Amino acid sequence: RMQSTQASVQVNTPETRVTTLANGLRVASEDSGLSTCTVGLWIDAGSRYETNDNNGTAHFLEHMAFKGTANRTQLDLELEVENMGAHLNAYTSREQTVYYAKSFSKDLPQAVEILADIIQNSTLGEAEIERERGVILREMEEIEQNQQEVVFDYLHSTAYQGTSLGLTILGPSENIKKINRQDLVTYIKQHYNPSRMVLAAAGGVNHDKLVNLAKEFFGTTVSSDNQDPSPLKLQPCTFTGSDLRHRNDHMPYVHVAMAVEGVGWEHPDTIPLMIANQIIGTWDRSSANGAHFPNPLVRRMAREGLCVSFQSFNTLYTDTGLWGIYFVSDNDNIYDCTIRVQDEWMRLCTDLTEFEVSRAQNTLLTNMALMLDGTTPICEDIGRQMLCYGRRIPWPEMARRISHVNISDVKKVMKQYVWDSCPAVASIGPTEALPDYANIRAKMYKVFH
Amino acid sequence: MTTPLSVPLRDSPKPIYAESASETFQTMTSKLNNGLTVTSQPKFGTFCTVGILIDAGSRHEVAYPSGMSHYLERCAFAGSSIYKDRDAVMLAVEKLGGICDCQSSRDTTIYAASVDRDKLEPLMELLADSVYQPTLDDNIIEQARESINYELDELDKKPDPEPMMTELIHEAGFRGNTVGLPKYPQAETLHQINRASLQKFLRSYYLPERMVVAGVGVDHDELVTLSEKYVSAKSPSWSLDGARESDASVAQYTGGDVKVQKHFDLSMSVVPMPELAHVSIGMESVKFTDTNFVPFAVLNMLMGGGGSFSAGGPGKGMFSRLYLNVLNRHHWMYAATAYHHSYDDGGLFCIQGSAHPSQLRECVHVITQEFAKLTNGIDKVELNRAKKQLQSMLMMNLEARPVIFEDVGRQILATGERKSPKQLCEMIDNVSNDDIVRVARHMLSSRPAVAALGDVKQLPDYEDIENALTRPDGKLPKKFRLFGR
Repeated sequence: RMQSTQASVQVNTPETRVTTLANGLRVASEDSGLSTCTVGLWIDAGSRYETNDNNGTAHFLEHMAFKGTANRTQLDLELEVENMGAHLNAYTSREQTVYYAKSFSKDLPQAVEILADIIQNSTLGEAEIERERGVILREMEEIEQNQQEVVFDYLHSTAYQGTSLGLTILGPSENIKKINRQDLVTYIKQHYNPSRMVLAAAGGVNHDKLVNLAKEFFGTTVSSDNQDPSPLKLQPCTFTGSDLRHRNDHMPYVHVAMAVEGVGWEHPDTIPLMIANQIIGTWDRSSANGAHFPNPLVRRMAREGLCVSFQSFNTLYTDTGLWGIYFVSDNDNIYDCTIRVQDEWMRLCTDLTEFEVSRAQNTLLTNMALMLDGTTPICEDIGRQMLCYGRRIPWPEMARRISHVNISDVKKVMKQYVWDSCPAVASIGPTEALPDYANIRAKMYKVFH
Repeated sequence: MTTPLSVPLRDSPKPIYAESASETFQTMTSKLNNGLTVTSQPKFGTFCTVGILIDAGSRHEVAYPSGMSHYLERCAFAGSSIYKDRDAVMLAVEKLGGICDCQSSRDTTIYAASVDRDKLEPLMELLADSVYQPTLDDNIIEQARESINYELDELDKKPDPEPMMTELIHEAGFRGNTVGLPKYPQAETLHQINRASLQKFLRSYYLPERMVVAGVGVDHDELVTLSEKYVSAKSPSWSLDGARESDASVAQYTGGDVKVQKHFDLSMSVVPMPELAHVSIGMESVKFTDTNFVPFAVLNMLMGGGGSFSAGGPGKGMFSRLYLNVLNRHHWMYAATAYHHSYDDGGLFCIQGSAHPSQLRECVHVITQEFAKLTNGIDKVELNRAKKQLQSMLMMNLEARPVIFEDVGRQILATGERKSPKQLCEMIDNVSNDDIVRVARHMLSSRPAVAALGDVKQLPDYEDIENALTRPDGKLPKKFRLFGR
């Protein structure tokens, strides 16, 4: 055996350095010496921290970020950012809120100062709030046109019914119409605490300088609930196997998302579950190819023309996850399509081949490594991993974790999380021929004679 | 493995990281005995991107049915002497831990792959085999035809006007020659593309002196050695002594108009779209080696524009002229965007607008006025902003390895040397108001190219547009019709 404890490996990427400030803010960066950079705040806050009453606040707040601060009007901010050739962006998910800037590396101090200003000193003016209500309501209409988004919202609302993970990110329109300045201020006080934030950066970023900037612009921020140093307790969100159908016979296709409860970010089983995902794969009719693919489900769907597209997914949260598949088909084929998908799930529990597993490991590694190109994807990876794992996993370790999975690990997680479990199923469109829940549930195991 | 991802694996090897100072921007270039050029550049990351660029594209197809290079793109990686079929190629590339693709454009065809950097040698063998030894049997040729038919059908159905408008404005600007030739195969002549014509095209253009092997994130000497071993040494699968027909014409700007009356079927789109007509007005610009190329690029940034509902925070060019003067003022304008298409022997600068068919005339009107305004010169703040944004766009794009690969490869293929990003940034810094006014005047002295797509009945006459562009205010003549319509 090799002396693994002493072995070292050369990596052709710079190190990710991490520093924690006295107030709990974590600063993490990778310096590649480029003339441009991405820097941003990753905040452990999102719709999961909301209730039925204030659902939509996190997202509303994100919308207000570029609408002016105590130091800059909206126009000042826009002119300043445009004149320095920078970009500002923000997004909200169920568990994370992100604000980031792309700029020349030499402008890093200005970029950090702007981020600090929009997070800490946002005006939240009444007039702007009113205007933004309209914008968000329109955004909502746009999302409602996107059946994939709708079906994933349905999936969350049924799988996590009665819990905050079942809420949507935008919130219901009643809430969007009534959220006021005080709601936003309260939300910031509750959740935008330095101990729940990561200042991440990638590109031409000197870590020590970044730490100094963080101290200068974020160092004085203290948790508003600093009397209570205990970290915020995340309420568990229970998964419920269940079914939600929105029948609409005017739509040409039926969209289905079907998932079982997987595991959270940190759980070691997430790696074999991701490999299982990769084996099931992704396919789209417009890719024309497929009839000869090594992947059995793709081959079958392509040859028999059972669906328009399918995509396996593994959506992760802190302490739970949705492992499943999204597929689009029509009324004539949806029945067979669902059965084929479930057959494939069952096959993975019992008849997996070495070839499939090693192929999936390879593709997974490739896809992950290929994504880390450019300062923004690298910065996103740093920010997300810092929030999810409390560290950035070194690439050789990640590669090792993936390549060490073997066929029995994949079978084991399939048996544990998929076999004979109650899935959550959400659908929209002409759903008449979709097998009913008892049938779907009965296909989650096989009887061998 | 039972260790949570938040906890380091105990027996994981200790990584020795790279230092940022070791990143350089030095591009190295070598010429091999047979005329093949090899160029490379170092870069961080576990991956390298390597490819073969060929000076062959739709502009070289005047003696062939249109779309030869597009067709070859579809036959690429579909089987060659070492690999039985597309699946065999896919599996081989997967084993190297990478991805590959082929893309053809008006002037260049690129076969490229990104793989783990330890796998450079097997990759070079695969690339050389794919370029020089394509199988091109009946099966592959038939599959490519099917996929192109599907693509042409999709192109016709999709409400996105972009690919068609680019085609049409090139056709109007360079009628019947070089970059004005269609990039896409034409439904009527698609059947004329067969093994014989494909091989004749390959024989005429796939020559070592028209090729560059480019690599990003590789060792230069290694790339040179492997290029000699695999690319130079490879003999082609097509016979070398058949007929050849290659076109070396220089792009001739003609101007003129192209109209395509068409009804968009909007029922297929997910997001409801209004019925739109699209128009693009172009004027002659310059080749990318011209001293005026950089001022034109600044001009492009200055005009900017985009869609009226585009997402994103500050930084998307919200103070560009097409936003301030057009999209923010005329809410009936659905989109307005400036484009600069530049090649190694000519160029075209155009502004494209989309509006309801009933407002096509007004749409043309705002575009001609924006063109005319350019000769008045521009404000210093505005100019500086455009220059800064051009520099940042350039540098941010060059963060990604495939973009560096294409930039290095194309520059070396076209000019034999690469202008570094730093040199380009300096050139951008030096652009003055006078430069902008000069290139605008030069441009406005050319005959316009006009392309329109959709319900284009309200499009003003070509002569009226040409006239408007010669006037200092850019205004279309008043339309007077005694008897309506």
